[in-house]
Amino acid sequence: MTQWSGYLGLIVQGALVTIELTLMGSVLALIMAFLAGMGRLSRFFVLRALATTYIEFFRGTSIFVQLFFAYFVLPLIGIELTPLQAGVLALGLNVGAYAAEVVRGGVQSIGREQHEACVALNLGRWQGMRHVILPQAFLVMLPTFGNNAIELLKATSVVSLISLADLTFQAQVVRAQTGNTMVPFTTILVIYFILALLLSWGVRSLERRLARGLDGVRV
Amino acid sequence: MSATTAPIIKIDGISKSFGSFKVLDGLSMQVMPREKLALIGPSGSGKTTILRILMTLERIDGGHIQIDGEQLYHMERNGQLLPADERHLAKMRQKTGMVFQLFNLFPHKSVIDNVTLAPMLTKGMLRAAAEKRAMELLDMVGMADKAKAMPAQLSGGQKQRVAIARALALQPKIMLFDEVTSALDPELVEEVLNVLWRLCAETDMTMLLVTHEMGFAHDFADRVLFFDRGKIVEEGKPDEIFRNPKQERTQGFLKKIIAAGHRV
Repeated sequence: MTQWSGYLGLIVQGALVTIELTLMGSVLALIMAFLAGMGRLSRFFVLRALATTYIEFFRGTSIFVQLFFAYFVLPLIGIELTPLQAGVLALGLNVGAYAAEVVRGGVQSIGREQHEACVALNLGRWQGMRHVILPQAFLVMLPTFGNNAIELLKATSVVSLISLADLTFQAQVVRAQTGNTMVPFTTILVIYFILALLLSWGVRSLERRLARGLDGVRV
Repeated sequence: MSATTAPIIKIDGISKSFGSFKVLDGLSMQVMPREKLALIGPSGSGKTTILRILMTLERIDGGHIQIDGEQLYHMERNGQLLPADERHLAKMRQKTGMVFQLFNLFPHKSVIDNVTLAPMLTKGMLRAAAEKRAMELLDMVGMADKAKAMPAQLSGGQKQRVAIARALALQPKIMLFDEVTSALDPELVEEVLNVLWRLCAETDMTMLLVTHEMGFAHDFADRVLFFDRGKIVEEGKPDEIFRNPKQERTQGFLKKIIAAGHRV
């Protein structure tokens, strides 16, 4: 039993890397989602074209290839990234592309009458977006953002391939050193699952908090 | 109203089509300051479209509109009349407020935040001042005790009274009321109409109402316009239009309305 406790330390370290990647990747994904999602809705053709190209490209190519490109090809043109930077970049851009469509759909789900109220109250385009449309649209986006975050969490395992010591990487280490496959992989299976549960629980409670008062329940 | 007073709204030969359907066809009309005008007529006759055009929710295909002496959809630059840009429209919108059939309150904001949002954003009012003014307006529409409530907690009539306070917060000279009682349960209609009476008594705003409340239109309006197929078929004092309509189409419309149980 004593030997496992040392390996457990490795797994915990791996879990911390996975959590770090997930959080940083999610922040980048969220930023990209809003940039590209709003770009898709822009009046300006150039912005629409840029956003569409980004979304289609990153949805249409594999996260695996994107990661290898960031880590192995970018250095060839002088952009050196650490494994963590390459991981965050690839994961954030990839999931951001999916989430951009969630942003667009959320904004479009807000009825015309809300836009008309903004015009009648003489709010500028951006003011109306910022104070009226987006706060309501965000609530529509949240559940799908939760899905996206879990997708991102699971996709972090590919970074083990560029030698970033995340959960999956550490499980491989433990397996190599002990010859035991069942224990390390069962362990990280459970850990991924718990992390995903925490994510969906977090998103759901945020959703409940933001929805307070909208349904007529006394606040 | 002296003969020298200039109209506050001057509509000159405007037309508007939705696809191949011509809603307004060379329509002209004028509204004097402080006048209370009721626009009545069958649905699809273009009366709501006029309000929406005045609020810049729809653009016109042709013609001119002057509000308070200035072109609404055109700007004068070096003696030339150019199409209005967004800045000009924003300036012109300050003169006009609108209340919608379905209230269009912001569901994620409390009653008082609904009222303070636009003054704070568009007029740079500080929160304290905006809230003080909002409370006065909410008091006027009888909603001061619900200032902290969310729209979803209110009845239709209450929502509409908040929507009126919200529009008033920008101190418009002209208020447009688009079927503001049509979506309400019958027992809630009166509380909204009472607010309109109060506005009439306590402010000197020009008011345009599209309404199916013929009894209210008769009592409230200085002048009634009967619309059909994008044209003004008949206009006059409420008594003339309701008691003694001259046009056949007006007579037919009023007969149908009375048959449907509305008081005239």
